[in-house]
Amino acid sequence: MSEKQFHSIHITRDKCVGCVHCMAACPTKAIRVKDGKARITDDLCIDCGECLRYCPYDAVHSHTTSFAALDAFAYKVAMPSNVIYGQFGSATLPSEILSALRRIGFDEVYDLSSICELNNAATEEYLNENPRPRPFITPTCPVVVRLIQRCYPALCGQILPIEPPREIAAKILRTILPKALNIASEKIGIIHITPCSAKMVSINSPATLNKSYLDGAISIRDIYPQVLKALRKSHEDELMRHLFPETQFSGIGMGWSLSGGETRGLKKHRAVAVSGVRDTMRVLDQVEAGLLQDVDLLECTVCPDGCVGGPLEVENRFLAKSRILQLVDAAGERSVVDPKDVSRLYHKNFLSFDHPATPVDSHPLDADPARAIRKAKRREKIFGDLPRKDCGVCGAPDCRTLADDIVRGLARLEDCPFVKKEKR
Amino acid sequence: MAADAVFRQEFPLKGGNFAKAGAVALLIKDLLKDMGLDTKTIRRAAIASYEAEMNVIMYAWEGRVNLAVTPREVQITFDDKGPGIADIELAMTEGYSTATREMRELGFGAGMGLPNIKRNADVFHIDSQSGRGTRLEIIIRTNGHRA
Repeated sequence: MSEKQFHSIHITRDKCVGCVHCMAACPTKAIRVKDGKARITDDLCIDCGECLRYCPYDAVHSHTTSFAALDAFAYKVAMPSNVIYGQFGSATLPSEILSALRRIGFDEVYDLSSICELNNAATEEYLNENPRPRPFITPTCPVVVRLIQRCYPALCGQILPIEPPREIAAKILRTILPKALNIASEKIGIIHITPCSAKMVSINSPATLNKSYLDGAISIRDIYPQVLKALRKSHEDELMRHLFPETQFSGIGMGWSLSGGETRGLKKHRAVAVSGVRDTMRVLDQVEAGLLQDVDLLECTVCPDGCVGGPLEVENRFLAKSRILQLVDAAGERSVVDPKDVSRLYHKNFLSFDHPATPVDSHPLDADPARAIRKAKRREKIFGDLPRKDCGVCGAPDCRTLADDIVRGLARLEDCPFVKKEKR
Repeated sequence: MAADAVFRQEFPLKGGNFAKAGAVALLIKDLLKDMGLDTKTIRRAAIASYEAEMNVIMYAWEGRVNLAVTPREVQITFDDKGPGIADIELAMTEGYSTATREMRELGFGAGMGLPNIKRNADVFHIDSQSGRGTRLEIIIRTNGHRA
């Protein structure tokens, strides 16, 4: 493959015992176990984090920004995913979490719910102006964009070309902060706080921007202990703060981290929300077959239940979801964004992609179609000889993939323990 | 072109098997991707074969799909034993459908099936005998640049 792709998911060789859990869980069949260690094929990996969830030996790690790396910036801004509001139990208010982040070293902290609402209004406007194609697919989950580029190239044109809230928020801050603070833009570090490592991929190799407006992403899991400590220390403030109602959060934007949250605020359009990587693939298969054309917007997030099911959060997703739903209920339909402002930004193309997401090289069996066809025939024949136990002992996730690897020259028939036995 | 550069596979279909609806079209799509055909050809084949597969599942008792792929074209033939189509011309009219209320509630039967298949195919042949079954043959030509 041409250029080296950035990936946030890596396998720690020392911890890997060579079992088959990650390999079986990988939705794009990107993992093979060779010489007793799991290996990820870069071209096939979409950074969904399924392997991270399923590894029983903690051998899959994700690369996110370290807290120490923030020292490089003179002014540090945190922009946490709304998922963070569900991490500290139901007695902790969002404003307390934001001020705890300030106390642990960020100069400023911005809530994203208002920008989520902004995005919602822009989406509504885009759908009004563009009656075709249908459905558009939301680009908020960077894994979905990568999945479409690699496995559903025909759908690249159906990705809704409006940047997700984290990038829009960072772009707004990049525009106003250097002037307001009189600090050079490169000295201002804008950091997302994330429940998944895929955001790191979209920051380092953005699919639809020339350059990300964010400088990094710290995982909720990494920052959790410090935030918790800061929250405990400020117990007295907490009591005080509870006496004031919060006003700055958007009711429409608050639920964005839950599946269906991105589309809840749409008034005039039919939206469908899908979550989980396998269900997302199932529905994208249907869209590729021409279905769901009566749906205006398809919200896809590869984590179960939406971002709230991200692999790098701390609280279990059911509790986190319940807490966020409480906050959504409390905020109601509260709107904090003026649609006229959104419209202005929208028509200035401030919210748009720099360029569309384009298909990433597919992997046919051979670059030459005639040879690829012959290989496909051979593959069927080989598959017919395999035991179809999908045991993974050969190092491929299932018999079909082993047959595929064999015709691509990546594995041998003898790798199958059952074939060997029969020959003896 | 080498004579062996034809990929053939047959897939069985069972009428009323909604649990597996679309599975064959999906297999065909994945096979075409592996064979390196261009994205547009694959999309057309995916849409046409999905619609045709659904017709067999919704109306026929059983059927089979025959796929033949060469570097130049994709040929897909659907043969079914079923009630057949009494008036093909009428069935080709957009919006015309004999789908039951149940089928429509499932989101099928908008009366776009056959016209949609035809729109996505370069060659479209349909033959039907009332009370016996239907044979639908489509050919989608690849854009040829890859070959």
